[in-house]
Amino acid sequence: MTLDPSILARSQFAFTVSFHIIFPTMSIGLASFLAVIEGLWLKTKDSLYLQIYKFWLSIFAMSFGIGVVTGIVLSFEFGLGFARFATIAGPAIGPMIALEVLTAFFLEAGFLGIMLFGLHRVGPKLHLFATCMVAVGTLISASWILSANSWMQTPAGVAIHDGHLTVLNWRDVIVNPSWPYRLPHMLTAAYLTASFMVAGVGAWYLLRGKHQSFARRTVSLGTAFATVLIAVQVFIGDLVYGTMLKHQPSKMQAAEGFWEKQSQSPATYYWFIIPDQTNQRNRFEVGIPYLGSIWLTHSLDGRVEGLTNTPRDRQPIMGVVFYAFRIMYGLALLMFTMAVVSLWLRFRERLFSARWFLWMLVFMTPSGIIATLAGWYVAETGRQPWVIYGILRTVDAISPVPAQALLSTLIAFVSVYAVFISAFLIFTLRIVRRGPAAAPPHAEASGSLKNAFRPHVLDNPARVVNRRIA
Amino acid sequence: MDLSLLSASFLALALNLYVILDGFDLGVGILLLFQPAKASRDHMVDSITPTWDGNETWIVMAGVTLLAAFPIAYSILLPAFYLPAILMLLALGFRGVSFEFRVQTRHRRRWDVAFAVGSVVAAFMQGLIVGGLIQGVTVQNQRFAGSVLNIVRPLPIISGVTLLFGYAVLGAGWLKLKSNPSVQHFASRSLRVAAPVVALLFGIGCIYAFNIQPAIRSQWASHGTALSCLVGLFAVVAGTLTALAEKSRPALPFFLGLCLFVVGISGMALIVFPYIVPFSLSLWDAASSSTSQQFVLIGAAFVTPVVLAYSVFAYWIFRGRTPEKGWGE
Repeated sequence: MTLDPSILARSQFAFTVSFHIIFPTMSIGLASFLAVIEGLWLKTKDSLYLQIYKFWLSIFAMSFGIGVVTGIVLSFEFGLGFARFATIAGPAIGPMIALEVLTAFFLEAGFLGIMLFGLHRVGPKLHLFATCMVAVGTLISASWILSANSWMQTPAGVAIHDGHLTVLNWRDVIVNPSWPYRLPHMLTAAYLTASFMVAGVGAWYLLRGKHQSFARRTVSLGTAFATVLIAVQVFIGDLVYGTMLKHQPSKMQAAEGFWEKQSQSPATYYWFIIPDQTNQRNRFEVGIPYLGSIWLTHSLDGRVEGLTNTPRDRQPIMGVVFYAFRIMYGLALLMFTMAVVSLWLRFRERLFSARWFLWMLVFMTPSGIIATLAGWYVAETGRQPWVIYGILRTVDAISPVPAQALLSTLIAFVSVYAVFISAFLIFTLRIVRRGPAAAPPHAEASGSLKNAFRPHVLDNPARVVNRRIA
Repeated sequence: MDLSLLSASFLALALNLYVILDGFDLGVGILLLFQPAKASRDHMVDSITPTWDGNETWIVMAGVTLLAAFPIAYSILLPAFYLPAILMLLALGFRGVSFEFRVQTRHRRRWDVAFAVGSVVAAFMQGLIVGGLIQGVTVQNQRFAGSVLNIVRPLPIISGVTLLFGYAVLGAGWLKLKSNPSVQHFASRSLRVAAPVVALLFGIGCIYAFNIQPAIRSQWASHGTALSCLVGLFAVVAGTLTALAEKSRPALPFFLGLCLFVVGISGMALIVFPYIVPFSLSLWDAASSSTSQQFVLIGAAFVTPVVLAYSVFAYWIFRGRTPEKGWGE
């Protein structure tokens, strides 16, 4: 059997990047959630918020840690597996990632220590500041990396002369056509992910009859955030769809499952197809009549463009893009339904007692992660066969590394990451099973910024409380 | 203004900060392997827990600066050091997650082993890469044209072991500065072993490199005085470290460890300059377009001082000796 280096390099990148994105998705969402919770704690002085903060902080810390170490891999993998891509795209995406490191990674890393271990040393106000800096860091990081990835989807602002890329206008590179829509799409996805995680764990406690006040507060917060966010996400998703249809039609053609240049009118919305890429047709298809026209063209009888509009050698593989899109979209519809139901239950004051709904929340705990991963699969597999859309093909981007080396490192990555994810799941489930710890009595410190500069005072919490009373 | 030279200076700054800062973190991890007492291991890890993430970030800074400013060098060097780079990344991964995982379980020892072995492997692989650079990288048509197994040769292996002991020196210095008396004693004993080994291996490495690489001989011919001064200085610093390991003030070994690295890196820079892919591609041959370099440099000029300021602030918050029960209590 001969091994194809390009398949191996792509498998390795796909595996490592898919694994990585799970953790930033959680930590972007949880960082902002924690900032809100700590803000609420300082404002209301309600120690329940501190309890919620501490509980989710330990899960955040683990997801952040895995996100960091799997992210470092990616910053070198452009060269390890895709040297030609690095040579050509380096002048455009390199500076963006360099700025990401400078403006985001250091910010997160610098304040993470204070966020995790510094509450008693710097006092609550400066601690809230540290939490906010970590949260802002995650947003800046997402912003740069989405800019770099969006530039690969909709490249702009550059010129290429005999294999060398020159940036003509940085504004066009950074604010490329798809970035303004894809960034809020990803951030909302991360926030939805955190909301469903928080609500799911709370729902589990309610079903078990444990940690009632913690559970009620988190189910209430989680479903409230999710309700607002999914409404926003449906709207943003539509904008992303429109942008990609304009700039990368082949991706959306593959995502909807039509082959013929123009579908019949009215168009069906397919939920299940067996695509036959060689003969450019579907062997089998099931869908809902009219819905395709209504959703995709916002009319009763509109036609939808199929994949044969794109020349065969420039088509992505329909099956992957179609099903990734269906998973993401199906989960979004489910989230939307949950949001509507939660509003109704809240109105009827049954949000904490409707067991069937709580069970659904438990099952939806990982929904945001799965939907986000599926969304990235639409974005990345739908861009194929290009790595930089219209500029560089993926097969032409590969490094001169022998297949055996690629295969052995792929196996190494799978084995090591399997250890990471198992440990993460075991420890997270253990934290959930143990439940939130009782909030310590000295939690409500004075909040004075001055204490930041006199940690010895804070080493003795009793003195802080005494000072406040005095 | 020579943009490529400026970009290379920023790259060198990031690499230096990485080697020194993550160097003592990795050193503490390496020494963990030789510390039998659980309480002392906890104490050692606690001493670096709040700040390790920022230290490690400098390697990402160096990597992406190389990508942004010297994309051709980036796409030659990473395939050339494919195996050690990936093993290093996996090892750094084990080291990194162990910080979080070891406190979650009663089987803390397992994660301490992962932590220590991760540190050892990462340090050794970084040394292999340094040795691989000094022995030279085969390039044709601006692409890597050698074998990924070229690093399995004496010079990279000597260099790997040297860096391993070098990081142990830095780690022991850090522990003398930040830990309780029993760990300080352990650190002194480690220093007495590691410092002379570093000096010895460094000497062997220099002589070996001089013999196998003609380019190094010619560099030696043109910068003979400077290079011999650096080698002499290296020996003096290592000797002082060994002699004063036990008696000195807590801060001195760490400071001497830093000096050791600064001297070593300067010597290396003198030998390699102006190549960025030794000894076939210079800085200017591998540079990206000026617009890209300008963008990075302007960003770096504005943001790096801020980064350094709040990094110092973070160290300052966690200043002084590591508390017996860790920083969180």
